[in-house]
Amino acid sequence: MTKAPKILTELFWLEHLHRIEAYLDRGGYQALKKALTEMKPEQVQEEVKKANLRGRGGAGFPAGVKWGFIPKGTDKPKYLCVNADEGEPGTFKDRYILNHNPHLLIEGIVLAAYAVGIHSAYVYIRGEYEMIARRLEQAVAEAYAKGYLGRNILGAGFDLDLVVHRGAGAYICGEETALLESLEGKRGNPRLKPPFPALVGLFQCPTVINNVETLSNVPFIVQKGAAWFLEQGLPKDGGTRLFGVSGAVAKPGLYELPAGTSLREIITTHAGGMKDGKKLKAVIPGGMSSPILRADEIDVRMDVDSIAAAGSMLGSGAIIVIDEGTPILHVLRKIAKFYAHESCGQCTPCRLGTSWIHKIVERMAAGGGTRGDVDTLIRLAGNIKGRTLCPLGDAAAMPVTAIAQKFRTELEATLERSPVWP
Amino acid sequence: MISLLIDGRPVEVAEGTTVLKAAERAGIAISHFCFHPAFVPEGSCRLCLVQIEGSPKLELGCSTIVREGMKVSTQSPIVREARRGVLEFLLAEHPLDCPICDKAGECKLQDYASDYGLTESVFREAKEKREKRLPIGEKLLLDRERCIQCTRCVRFLSEITKTHELGLFERGIHSEIGIYDGKPVRNGYSGNLVDLCPVGAITDTTFRFKTRPWFLARGESVCPHCSRGCNIYIDYHPGFPRVPGSAKVYRIRPRVNEAVNGPWICDYGRYGFVEAQNTGRSDRPFWNKGGAKTELSWDKVRIVLGEKLKALRESGRMGRAAVAASGWLTNEELYLIQKIFRDDLNVSRLFVVDPKPGEGDAMLLRPDRAPNRRGATELGFDLALPSLEALGRETEVLIIFGPHLAAHFGGDELRAAFDKIALKVLVTSHLAGLESLADCVLASATPAEKEGSFTNADGRIQRFAAAARPCPDVRPELWILQDLAREIGLRSDLYSRAASARTVFEALAKEIPFFGATA
Repeated sequence: MTKAPKILTELFWLEHLHRIEAYLDRGGYQALKKALTEMKPEQVQEEVKKANLRGRGGAGFPAGVKWGFIPKGTDKPKYLCVNADEGEPGTFKDRYILNHNPHLLIEGIVLAAYAVGIHSAYVYIRGEYEMIARRLEQAVAEAYAKGYLGRNILGAGFDLDLVVHRGAGAYICGEETALLESLEGKRGNPRLKPPFPALVGLFQCPTVINNVETLSNVPFIVQKGAAWFLEQGLPKDGGTRLFGVSGAVAKPGLYELPAGTSLREIITTHAGGMKDGKKLKAVIPGGMSSPILRADEIDVRMDVDSIAAAGSMLGSGAIIVIDEGTPILHVLRKIAKFYAHESCGQCTPCRLGTSWIHKIVERMAAGGGTRGDVDTLIRLAGNIKGRTLCPLGDAAAMPVTAIAQKFRTELEATLERSPVWP
Repeated sequence: MISLLIDGRPVEVAEGTTVLKAAERAGIAISHFCFHPAFVPEGSCRLCLVQIEGSPKLELGCSTIVREGMKVSTQSPIVREARRGVLEFLLAEHPLDCPICDKAGECKLQDYASDYGLTESVFREAKEKREKRLPIGEKLLLDRERCIQCTRCVRFLSEITKTHELGLFERGIHSEIGIYDGKPVRNGYSGNLVDLCPVGAITDTTFRFKTRPWFLARGESVCPHCSRGCNIYIDYHPGFPRVPGSAKVYRIRPRVNEAVNGPWICDYGRYGFVEAQNTGRSDRPFWNKGGAKTELSWDKVRIVLGEKLKALRESGRMGRAAVAASGWLTNEELYLIQKIFRDDLNVSRLFVVDPKPGEGDAMLLRPDRAPNRRGATELGFDLALPSLEALGRETEVLIIFGPHLAAHFGGDELRAAFDKIALKVLVTSHLAGLESLADCVLASATPAEKEGSFTNADGRIQRFAAAARPCPDVRPELWILQDLAREIGLRSDLYSRAASARTVFEALAKEIPFFGATA
C-alpha cells in the first residue's frame, strides 16, 4: 500500500481551519510572505513550471506552461479566473478544499496572480455550493482584513482584488470559455478557439483559468520547492491527487494519493474494496466523461499520461465504481441523459447528437431497442467526437463509445427481447 | 502573401485570410450554414470542417487562418463523412416539410442534403415538437422546427443593426430563437433576416405561400426608393399567357455591392418596391375630359401632343410650355428632356419635382426619396419647386413626369393653377391623385421595367437593364420622349428608337464631364 503523503488535506481535521486565525496558526500565508519578500514573479512561475503541476480540472495541462502563455508587457489588464464550477459528475474534490481550507486556495490565488502580474481575480463557484460560497466569501473578507488581499499586500507593493462569483447551475459553465462568458454576464456558451483565453479572455483581456485544486498546490510548491513537489508524485506529473471515489465501494470518499497510484490499489485498499462483497463490473476513472474501464482493466496507474495510454483519462480524478448488479444500460442511460440535458445547444453535433443518443438509449431502456442500435450509437458518438465547438462533445461521446464497445454483448442481450424494426 | 494548397490547387492569398475565403478564391466552395462574410465567424454549424495536413482533428474552414505551405483538403473521405454526420443530425430533427416550405428550391439544407446523398434516415425517434408560426416581427414568422440555429439572425441584429431583438433561449435540444418579452423585431432592416436564414425558419408574410422560388425569374436592378441606389435582385413571375395579372413582382433581395449597400437592403425599399410595382399602377394612356376617362392609343397620344407642341412652336409661344421632370427619371431621360425642350424647343422652364423627403437612418436609407436627384443636379436642373401661381399664369402646355406634385401642394391649390393651363400632360407610372387634374395621362414604366442609369447621392452612376417585364401598354419615358421629338420634326440620332439608353448615355458622357469621368 502506498503511503499517503497528505499535502492538500493535511489539516482538514482541524475544526475551524476555514477561519484565518486557525490557518495562520498552522503556518498559513507563509508561502505568500516568502514569495512577496524573497522571490521575483518570474521565479515563482519558474518554480511552478519545474514542479510539473498538471491542471487538476480535467485536461491535465501544466499550470506553469499555461501561465507562460500570458503576453508580457501588454497594456491590457490581466485576469485570473478560478474554476470552482466542479460540475463533472462524480467529482467532489474542490468542494472539500473550499469547505475545509478556503485560505489555502486564496493563498494559491495570490501567488499565481503575483507570478503572472495579475491584479484582479475571480472565483467562479458552482451555484449549488451555496454554503461553501458563503464560507469562501467570509474567508476572502478575512484575507482582505488581514492584508492578504487588496492594496499593497504584506507591504510588498502588490495589489490583488478577489471576487467570488456564483454560477447558475449549468455544467457547460465549467468549460473555461463558457465560464468567461457567464462571468461577463452573458449566456454561458463556449467561445470559438482560437483565440485562447491566455490572449483574449475575460473582457477580451489576457486571462489565466485554473482549477481550485491546481492553485491550492501552489503554496506548497513555493514553500517547499519544485523538487520536493515532484517527489510526492511523478517526474512528469508532480504532487498528489485528490481522488473522489464513489459507487459500490466499502469506503467511498476523498483520498489524497500520489499521482501514479494504481487504480486497483485505490479501489481495493484505500476505498476498502467492494461494498458488501459485490463483484466489480466496471470503473469510470476520471469523471463521467472519461471512457469506462472493465474490471480487468483497472491495473493502471492514475496519472495523466498512464491512464491516457490505457485509453481513458484522469480527468478530475472522480472514480465511479460500478458493481455487477448494475445493468450497464442504466449507466449508459444516466450518461446519455446528462449530456443531452447539459449540452448548451450552440453547435450542431452536440445539440442534436447528444439528444439523439439519449432518445435511442431511452428507447432501449424501455424495451424498444433494435438490432442496429449499438452500432448506431457508436457511429453517432463518432460523429460528435472531435467535431464540436468545445470539449463537451468529446465528453459526451467518449463514454458512449466506450460502453457500447466494451459492453456490446450485455447491451445486445437486452435487445433480444425487443421487437425488431421492420 | 501566403501560398497554400487546397485540394491540390495552389492558392495565394493575403495574410490573415481564412481557409474558407482562400478556397473561394480557388473556386472551391466549402459548405457552410452559420458563416456569413459580414459577421465574425461563429463556428457553430460545424459544416465547414476541412482536413489540414498535420492537424489531428478536422478544422473549421470559416475561422482557421491560412499558414504558409498549408495543405487543405475539402473533399477527402473523412471530411465528407464529417459533413454527412452534421447534416444527418440536422435532418434527423428537421420537419422535412419542404413541399410546403417557402425556402424549398433555395434552401441550403436541401441543397447540401442532396449534395451529400442523404436520402434515407435511420432516425427512429420522435421529433421534437416546436412552434411552427411564431410572429417575431411585423412581417416575419419563425418556424422553430425548421430552424437549424445557425444564429445568423441573432448576429445580424447584434452586429449589424445593433438592435438585439432576437436571442437564444433554453439549451441543448430545447434551445430556440426568440424575441425578448414579446418585443418584435422592428428596425427597418428586418427583411434581411429572411434572406439570411439558410433554411425556411424565418419567412416573410408578404411572400409566404404565394409562389415557389423556381417559378420566379431573377432580374438585376437598382432600388429607386431613395438616393442610396441599393443594388437589388428583382424576383418576378413572368406571367402565364392568357392569365391577366399573373406577371408580378414577388420580392426583391439585396445584390451584394460593397461600395453601395453591402449585402443588405432596407425594409422601406424592400416592401415599398413590391407594393409600388404591383399596385396603383397607371397601366394605359387615357384622356380625362370632364371627369370621364377615354382610352387612348399611343399613336394618338403622339399625334395629339405633337400637334399641340408644333402649334405652339409655329406661333412662337414655346415660352408658354413648361416641363416638370423628376428625380425618378434616369440620367438618359433627363438628358433627353434637356435636349428636346431646352435646346431644340427653347423651353426655359424645366423643373424637377421629387417626392417629399422622408426619414433616413444611419445605415442605408437616405432622406431623399428620389433615386436620381444627384443626376438631375449634375445635369444642371434647377431643383427648386416651381411657384404654382406663376406656373398657372404663364403656362399653356405643362408636361409633368411623375405624380409627386400632389405631395407638395394641396388639391385646391393645384386645381386653381391647373385650371388656367390649357393642356396638362402627366407621364406617370403610378396614379396617386394628380391624374384627375391632368388632361392626358400617359402610363410609363417603373425603373424595374426599363434600362438606364441613376446617379446616387454619392455620385456613383449605376446602370441597370430592364429587370421585370412591364405591362403591355406601358412605355419607358425614353421612348415617349423620342417618339414625341420625332413627331414634332426634331432631328437627332438620339431621337430614333434605335438609340438605346446606352447610346443616349454615351452622348451625355461626351457632353457633361461628370458623366464622362465616372462612367
